[in-house]
Amino acid sequence: MRAVIRRTAPRLAAFCLAALAAATACRKGDAAAPARPSVGSARPSPVSTAIPALGYVDESSQGPPVDGGTLSRRLPGDPATLNAVMQSGVPEQEVLQYVSRNLLDFDARMRLIPGLAETWSVSPDGRAYTFRLRADAVWEDGSPVTAADAVFTIRRIVDPKVPSPVFKSVFEGLESVEASGDRTFVARFREPYAYHAMAFVLPLLPEKRFAGRDFLRAPDNRSPLSNGPYRFVSWKPQREIVLERNPRSWGSRAHFDRVIFRVVPEDPVAYRGLVAGDVDETRLDTSLRDRAAADVAFAKCCRAVEYYDLGFNYIALNNRSPLFADARVRRAMTMLLDRAAIVRGLYRGSARIISGPWAPDLSAYDGSVVPLPFDPAAASALLDASGWRDSNGDGTRDRAGRDFTFDLLVSSGTTAGRQIDETLAAELAKVGIRAQVRAMEWAAFTERIDAGDFEAASLAWSASDPNPDPYPYWHSSQRPPRGLNSGFYRNPEADRLMEEARREPGENRRNGVYHRLHRIFRDDAPVIFVVTASHKFGFSNRVRGLVASPLGFSSIWPGPIGWWRADAPAASAPGAAAR
Amino acid sequence: MIRYVARRLLLAVPTLAGIVVLVFFLLHLAPGSPISALGADTGRRVSVRAAEEMRRVYGLDRPLPERFASWVSRVARLDFGESFVDRRPVLERIREGLPFTLALNGAALLLTLAIAVPLGVAAGGRPEGPLDRASGAILFALYSLPAFWAALLLQTLFAVRLRWLPLYGVSSDSDDLSGGRLSDLVLHAVLPVVCLTYGSLAFFARLIRASVAETRNADYVLAARARGLSRRAALWKHAFRNALLPLVTLLGLILPGLLSGSVIIERIFNWPGLGRLYFDSILSRDYPVVLALSLLGAVATLVLTLAADIASAVVDPRVRDGTVS
Repeated sequence: MRAVIRRTAPRLAAFCLAALAAATACRKGDAAAPARPSVGSARPSPVSTAIPALGYVDESSQGPPVDGGTLSRRLPGDPATLNAVMQSGVPEQEVLQYVSRNLLDFDARMRLIPGLAETWSVSPDGRAYTFRLRADAVWEDGSPVTAADAVFTIRRIVDPKVPSPVFKSVFEGLESVEASGDRTFVARFREPYAYHAMAFVLPLLPEKRFAGRDFLRAPDNRSPLSNGPYRFVSWKPQREIVLERNPRSWGSRAHFDRVIFRVVPEDPVAYRGLVAGDVDETRLDTSLRDRAAADVAFAKCCRAVEYYDLGFNYIALNNRSPLFADARVRRAMTMLLDRAAIVRGLYRGSARIISGPWAPDLSAYDGSVVPLPFDPAAASALLDASGWRDSNGDGTRDRAGRDFTFDLLVSSGTTAGRQIDETLAAELAKVGIRAQVRAMEWAAFTERIDAGDFEAASLAWSASDPNPDPYPYWHSSQRPPRGLNSGFYRNPEADRLMEEARREPGENRRNGVYHRLHRIFRDDAPVIFVVTASHKFGFSNRVRGLVASPLGFSSIWPGPIGWWRADAPAASAPGAAAR
Repeated sequence: MIRYVARRLLLAVPTLAGIVVLVFFLLHLAPGSPISALGADTGRRVSVRAAEEMRRVYGLDRPLPERFASWVSRVARLDFGESFVDRRPVLERIREGLPFTLALNGAALLLTLAIAVPLGVAAGGRPEGPLDRASGAILFALYSLPAFWAALLLQTLFAVRLRWLPLYGVSSDSDDLSGGRLSDLVLHAVLPVVCLTYGSLAFFARLIRASVAETRNADYVLAARARGLSRRAALWKHAFRNALLPLVTLLGLILPGLLSGSVIIERIFNWPGLGRLYFDSILSRDYPVVLALSLLGAVATLVLTLAADIASAVVDPRVRDGTVS
């Protein structure tokens, strides 16, 4: 497949799905653990069995993979740490996935598969998770990965003195974690929860390297001990990180001799680095993708790939505000945003309209819930009915002495969010509502959002796992300052369904609950659900074997570990740097 | 002279104290926190409980005056603390970036002066002459080119198309910067230095031109010409020397900028300098790093302004005597 810019053409999607099925079958043979997970009797099935509505990228069948060469990856920023527990962002995860295996992993279909743990089971009450580690799993110094390491790692996560922004929330309900033998440990939660198992997509730290050391300042935080396919070599801050194949790697084959991460902060510069051959991949925004499509130099060396992930854009409305307390007004807001025009104009077709709080690739999403239409006339009627009329003839709707004017906040880092806001504001102006778009710097922006101190704000939802649980973000008990329901949404029926789904162990029944919830969300319109847009990347043609899932390239196994270099034998002498 | 210097040094103390107070409280009272700054790349929000714990880890749960007092007492002992982001000593992070920023900005300033001084003197020697008009037009055109645009253009031309120069970074491969690698560093510095230089040329050249144009008709220059000095000698020896005074004062204000670095140029050229560190630290609300860099900039400005004032006093007796300020 050369220079394919993936669109949602059905034929291509079908091809990719077929290729994926074959590839998954192949990978099972070499990468999966010898034993399949044993399943407890009341074990909730947290895996998603959704047939993806949108396309994957899969080139893993274009093999056979070749060993050797150097992969040069682009990082948008310097990692803050290489301590897996304290990681906080994309750069850390991109590097750590090469050196730290997870207890469990997601495959490209977002199903949980064994990693460091060869089996796991759940107690009948749904609260205790027992894991058995692989016997052949070793650290790069040859010592085994033990249950003590797992217990140490999880205890550090829940330690109040340790910042662990990624894992803290998923272990908040942890009651205890104990080893029972060298290779077995049990994690016990206070409540059963359908998605506890996803917490164990978790890298482990070697306990012995932190013993007697200040955890926050241990040398390993900047030169981690590997238990994965690659091991750490060097880190020049703000410049690059170098990894090489781990000779003691177990259970998986690393194809590249070395992996270099270059820190390139600016997307347009990284694009030039890709064309010049300095990096092998970089993300592309819509404008860079358009540029790539017309760039002869790009066509010669590289290809664009595209996938849909679990993220989506939405405009949060503060349901506590007198402006948006009425569901009719909120529905009118949705009907005043021309989402089809946004898909065509802003995303040039590479986006889909959504009608609920999930991306269509999640099985919680009910494809039969048709999005509200773009209909300014009907929206005007809804606004009239809810009492917002222009009673004083100044051109702006008002009610009880208050004009319908508000600030529409957006983080200054996003161009898409800003354009969506401008589209909405222009349409609102036509029906007598004045919305002022205000860009704010990220840290200041999120502070106001988290506190619920806003009328309306453009936001992007992103998900690093397929957990669809809406409870932390939409349940009325989670309104600020207690939780992250920053739009102050409250609907007793929705609350009840969210509680029911959390307790429901059967996936199909749970999805049934979510589908009912989806319909309520569409009609209640707690926010304006906008679109899910594809992620675009440029890849050098030298890199083969890409597999993307709705979790992206990186949050799946083997993910980037499965890539190989087309020109490897010619490009590298054994033991020498390829560059 | 000594009394003059002593007076200036005494004045610097309250200025520095004022800067310290202002920077600390501006930074801490500005919206956002190290916790709200998380997730800029992922969009992920931390749970309410995790946020509470992190506030305690960073010491942000303590009252602001208490934090200020402990910071001042540590800084008085030259302890700048550790970065919130990576838990390394702040000074270690600054030490990593400082040489790169100094080298880049120093080279750019030298190149700027090497071009701007002769150009400014030549243009000022004949105001409204053809050279003056042409250089003025070109310099203003350069001045108005946005740096990020010019930088991307130069990268595309010289690094992607022609492949004469490296695209970015400070070294070509993963080997360390050692003695033999200096030429490699110089090659990497060419494009960023050009980008930093072209914009400031106008500023310096026009300043020198105005200064020279003013002094060239002074009585002492006319007298020098009357004694039979060539136009060139009169211009350089007499007019230019006296035109240097404003430049000396200006350098006192420009030199501290050598430390601060250029955010845009350092980001576009992946230059691992202090400009990027400062920018990233502000975005992530890494208070200890931002405070240390602000303090560094403030001290450098005070010291170099003082040095420039002393230099003015040395070269101009009238400043010493207090006849002109």
